[in-house]
Amino acid sequence: MVSFKKGWLSRMGIVVLAAVLVELISVAQYERVRGIMQEEMKSRGHLVLERLSDKIQHTLETTEITMRENIWDVRRSMEHPDSVFPAMVRLIDNNPEVRGSCLAFIPYYYPSKGRLFEPYASKDSDGTYRVEQIGGPNHDYTLNDEYVWVMDHQVPSWTDPYKYGPDSVSFSTYLYPIKDAMGEIVALCGLDVDLSWLGDTLNAHHHFASSYCLLLTPNGELVAGPPADRISPDEVQKAVSIINGDLLESDFPGLSILKTTLRKDPFWQLAQVYNTNEVYARMHRQRRQQIIMVLLGLFILGFVINRYARNERKLLKASEEQARIGGELAVASRIQQEMLPTVFPSYVYGTLEPAREVGGDVFDFYTRDGKLFFCVGDVSGKGVPAAMLVSMSHALFRMVSKKEESPSRILQALNVELCRGNDSNMFMTYFVACLDLYSGELSYASAGHDRPFVLSNGISQLPAKSNLPLGVFPNTHFEEQDCMLEPGTTLLLYTDGLTEAKNIARQEYGRKGIQAFLESFVSGENQSLDYLVSSLSESAHQFAGEAPQSDDLTILAVRFNPEHVFRDSLVLKNDKSEVTRLSAFVKEFFQRLQLDKKIASGMRLALEEAVVNVIDYAYPDGEDGTVSVQADTNGEEVRFTLVDTGVPFDPTAMLEPDTTLDAQNRPIGGLGILLSRRLMDSISYTRRNGQNVLSLTKNIL
Amino acid sequence: MITTIKETDERFIATLSGELDTAAAQETEVALRPLLDSKGKEIVLDCKELEYISSSGLRVLLSILKQAQSVGSRVVLKDVNEVIRDVLNISGFISIFDIE
Repeated sequence: MVSFKKGWLSRMGIVVLAAVLVELISVAQYERVRGIMQEEMKSRGHLVLERLSDKIQHTLETTEITMRENIWDVRRSMEHPDSVFPAMVRLIDNNPEVRGSCLAFIPYYYPSKGRLFEPYASKDSDGTYRVEQIGGPNHDYTLNDEYVWVMDHQVPSWTDPYKYGPDSVSFSTYLYPIKDAMGEIVALCGLDVDLSWLGDTLNAHHHFASSYCLLLTPNGELVAGPPADRISPDEVQKAVSIINGDLLESDFPGLSILKTTLRKDPFWQLAQVYNTNEVYARMHRQRRQQIIMVLLGLFILGFVINRYARNERKLLKASEEQARIGGELAVASRIQQEMLPTVFPSYVYGTLEPAREVGGDVFDFYTRDGKLFFCVGDVSGKGVPAAMLVSMSHALFRMVSKKEESPSRILQALNVELCRGNDSNMFMTYFVACLDLYSGELSYASAGHDRPFVLSNGISQLPAKSNLPLGVFPNTHFEEQDCMLEPGTTLLLYTDGLTEAKNIARQEYGRKGIQAFLESFVSGENQSLDYLVSSLSESAHQFAGEAPQSDDLTILAVRFNPEHVFRDSLVLKNDKSEVTRLSAFVKEFFQRLQLDKKIASGMRLALEEAVVNVIDYAYPDGEDGTVSVQADTNGEEVRFTLVDTGVPFDPTAMLEPDTTLDAQNRPIGGLGILLSRRLMDSISYTRRNGQNVLSLTKNIL
Repeated sequence: MITTIKETDERFIATLSGELDTAAAQETEVALRPLLDSKGKEIVLDCKELEYISSSGLRVLLSILKQAQSVGSRVVLKDVNEVIRDVLNISGFISIFDIE
């Protein structure tokens, strides 16, 4: 849990770090773009103001030129007061920018005209000329500041722009002093320049809705600005105050003002006011969007990281789990393999190749009392469940066949156990057989298993009755069959992993494949079982080719090879005097073997005691009977087999006498079987076909 | 199986020669019957020539021992060979006879 929390924290840390980084980059970029935009805006604003001032300058200059070029005409007209009027009209005609012209005479210049005389010509918007004398008590131009200024300074000057007439058109007047021969000013000639275009220009195209231009006098008085319905007069006044230095721009965040002044008289001021909030509004909007996008991206990133980490964790857990299961499977596989026989005598060889780590096949064999017990089994299914059932059956086979010689009864015992609690309904085919290594007598029983091949003079299959598999019905009877094998006969047991080995075309190796292989093999020399089994397996693998092994492949070969076997037999009557014959028989049998005297004597005693036991107990008093004695040896061990037709009697079940008692309490009987047991390696009893069969074996090497 | 018995003043000396198997046990028992009346004398069974003994043979020896012990005699097995000693060992007889 702690590690999970830690992981979560570290993942959130990554997201937060990414957020901070992205935000830093974003802020830096924002500032950079803002700087660029500000520069751009300033240069653009300056450009606008420059153009504007150029245009104003141009208008003013052309007017000044008009004045200078026509002043001679005005001077000439001054000879007669009435000729001044047409001269004024001519002045207007010379320059379309000039909307009006006047000539304001000093008082009493023409005595006939009284104190104030100012002829005035103007052109209306419809193109008609109007000529009038405007000087008089209502219009005392001598009180006009500009008039006074020019009279005092004796240089031409532009008036501050003003509004005049019904259109409220902006005008400015260029006042030009006209001097007489004495150098005294006699009149001021004025040209009214229409500046209405300036208002249009000022408010024409603006990049931003809130931007506007202002025209101010050199004294800072507002001449032209945006209409009140566009920008409130308060706002305009605020800008004017800032321009005049009455207020500080820095006190009004977002407000930015650019200004320029005409290079010469009349030194008007032009200003552009704009609101940075609007300028950056798009940027702000973009930035907001960007932040939202980034946050969204980070959220997704966090989600993805979290998911990834969770999946990673799951994957890690899964792979750990897999490794653990893999490890356990490896152990299970080893256990299973170790349960299989690894050391083979010359007459048995087996192999098991699991398709997976653990298999659903089994084979086993072991020798007891000169008899070879062997089996091959195959569970329906593969993998761990099959392996568990197989291991169980394997252990049962070992346990049961220790006591039981009959393949049928071995299968029955296995079946009862395998049926118990078999809820998964798995079943096993099994083949169990017992081969007498001395006589070649083979008894076998099949639980639904494939019939083994028999290699003798030709190739055939054991005529085994199939019966039901193990694990189906607990009371199944498995029919037991027996036959005698000729010396040199080989039995070949296998599981369906061999017959059902498939190639890529999904064709099966089949019994035909085995048959074909055996035919080619039989025609060769009498090879070892090891070679036979591995060649057969190799043949199946070659057939399958690239196709993966689909099922466990098990092959077990058993050969009856009594080359070194020697046997002799004797039938005795149930009379103790027959022991003499028995002694002679044993001595003769032993003569063939170079035996240690003590071992020979011990075996003879064991046999004698066993025979006497039969004579004593197998038949009721007075009843004639026989006991047949068979002695076998393969040079490695000696086996005695006693068979009688008496009442069922198992000497191995007798209790051993207490050999520590004193002479007076020592029982007379029971010593015989004790001696037999101690002097031989093993004694086993079975009741078969109404006969008591007792086997005694001893290793003589 | 050949059995001879010599009686001296102090003891019976029985010589067992050959193989005392089940078939020979009966005649040996008969042959050794005089030892069942040991009259308190020590019984020495000379096993030097005894090559083989079965449980029936051991039974014959046991009955002699039981009788002797009841009258206070002892039974000595003399010169027991390895094979016989092994059998005595397994049967536990080695502890109830005096082995010399």
